[in-house]
Amino acid sequence: MKEGNKRKQVLGELKSSLTGYLFVGPQLILFILFIVYPVLEGFKMSLYRQTYTEDIFVGLENYKELFADPVFIKSVFNTIIFVVAIVFGLFVATTVYDKSAKYISFIRGSFYLPVMVSMVVMSMIWNFLLNPANGLISYLLGNVGVDDVNLLGSSTWVMPTIIFVTFVGNVGQSIILYIASMIGIPEDYFEAAEIDGATRWQRMTKILIPLVRPTTLYLVVINIIAVLKIFVVIQLLTGGGPNNSSVTMMYYLYQNAFIYNNTGVAAAVGVLMFVVALLLSIPQFKAFGNKK
Amino acid sequence: MKWLKKIKGMERYDRITNIIVLILALLSLFPVYWLITNSFKTSADIYKMPPDVLPKSLYLGHFKELFKNQPALKWTFNSFFVSVVTTTLSVILSSAAAYAFAKLHFKGKKILFSLFIASLMVPKETFIVPLFKIVVAFDWVDTYQSMIIPNLAMCFGVFMLKSFFESIPDSIRESAKLDGASEWYIFWKLMLPIAKPGIGALFILNFVTFWNDYLWQLLMARSKGMSTLTVGVAGLMQEINPNIGLRVAGAAVAALPMIIIFIVFQKYFTKGIAAGAVKE
Repeated sequence: MKEGNKRKQVLGELKSSLTGYLFVGPQLILFILFIVYPVLEGFKMSLYRQTYTEDIFVGLENYKELFADPVFIKSVFNTIIFVVAIVFGLFVATTVYDKSAKYISFIRGSFYLPVMVSMVVMSMIWNFLLNPANGLISYLLGNVGVDDVNLLGSSTWVMPTIIFVTFVGNVGQSIILYIASMIGIPEDYFEAAEIDGATRWQRMTKILIPLVRPTTLYLVVINIIAVLKIFVVIQLLTGGGPNNSSVTMMYYLYQNAFIYNNTGVAAAVGVLMFVVALLLSIPQFKAFGNKK
Repeated sequence: MKWLKKIKGMERYDRITNIIVLILALLSLFPVYWLITNSFKTSADIYKMPPDVLPKSLYLGHFKELFKNQPALKWTFNSFFVSVVTTTLSVILSSAAAYAFAKLHFKGKKILFSLFIASLMVPKETFIVPLFKIVVAFDWVDTYQSMIIPNLAMCFGVFMLKSFFESIPDSIRESAKLDGASEWYIFWKLMLPIAKPGIGALFILNFVTFWNDYLWQLLMARSKGMSTLTVGVAGLMQEINPNIGLRVAGAAVAALPMIIIFIVFQKYFTKGIAAGAVKE
């Protein structure tokens, strides 16, 4: 009798496991085929040098080559400079969080529209605006006395310009997330603070900013990761120039993989980016884990 | 304009920051505004400095040229086709998986779900070289499947919908089970309709993601006719004879569906982004 019950239980468990896998299965197969396998393959590829006839195992040579290449080192730095959007997102959100719904949605929409129209379109627009011969920006700068402006052709100005363009195209994301989490904060907190005579500045720094810390953490991570993969702007605005001064990691990867046919080195860049992304998101996973 | 009046009655610090934010918001709209207005100008008017704030005439020549001399119609079709198919399949696959993670019990569930979540943080670009190799091995380059199937592996939807399914009370499932309903029936007929708001938001978010996808589609589209709008239009930038009007019109056509979606679905949309991202 007892044996039979146990058996039934095991069978039942098996059956429910099977149902579960039937539901997850299709997604899982795609996941393994197009994410897990390529990641492992990427690690492997980064240890090989590909020639037309065979793949030669070269150990860490690709990585060595990478770190010996000044363009790569430059690309890492160029990548690091990008992280500015979070502070601005926080500024906008703290400014509008307690305003009328209409005003908030106007502000949110204005900053988010550039995100919607994609980096490809934004890059094209900035290409027109920044054109040294007939762009609007060159015209405006010329009017205040700055002549012969070629922001994208100057190795000093090209990165600040690219950063600005990326910033305009992406900052809406941070703003939307901040506003969403600030709206979720119960109003009594602010009412209580107001009764105690807290100024706006105090309310912001003592209540608002600490309470949205999980969002800040999340945004730091996704912004750094987004920066790692900056590609379109570079391709459409500068092609990495002048003199490689605007090469980002992703652009470096792209060039090596699909133009110079250096797949080993490109895979090595990918692995490094992968590791960075994973390390960055560990605190994020912990936050996910604690909740459940 | 009521909110403008409100600005006058604020604390000083608040007033200054709000005016700054308002100005920046308008500036942030400017590039898109510039794009739309210039797409209706003649090339000569686009080059004119100082520029006209509004186009003097609604010149449609660039759009005509775009659709006549460039395969822009095919690009538009490709973009819609790829985005709609990818989105639909991805929503179905990820809602099934999300349902299992939220409501069913099976071995290895926790580990699998953490793996899925881990993949959310790692951009596809990091393993794009091996991914490309796989697609080449399948001989899929320059086909629709290459533009659709690898993108389905993305687990964002699983993550986003799981919380929707979790919020549905277990009692619904249990009473349906007592009535003898199969798991599939419960999922398809009961759970999916309840999770509709989440699915709608996911649909829009995914559609936008796939519509704006660039690098992958660039690698996949070998022939000009297989390009999606973003790839085809970006390609105009690299052509040797610069025709500024044509390029502006191309960028406007690529941007327009997104602008419309944003205006129509704004509410859905901001909710979706928040639901998907800030589940701390």
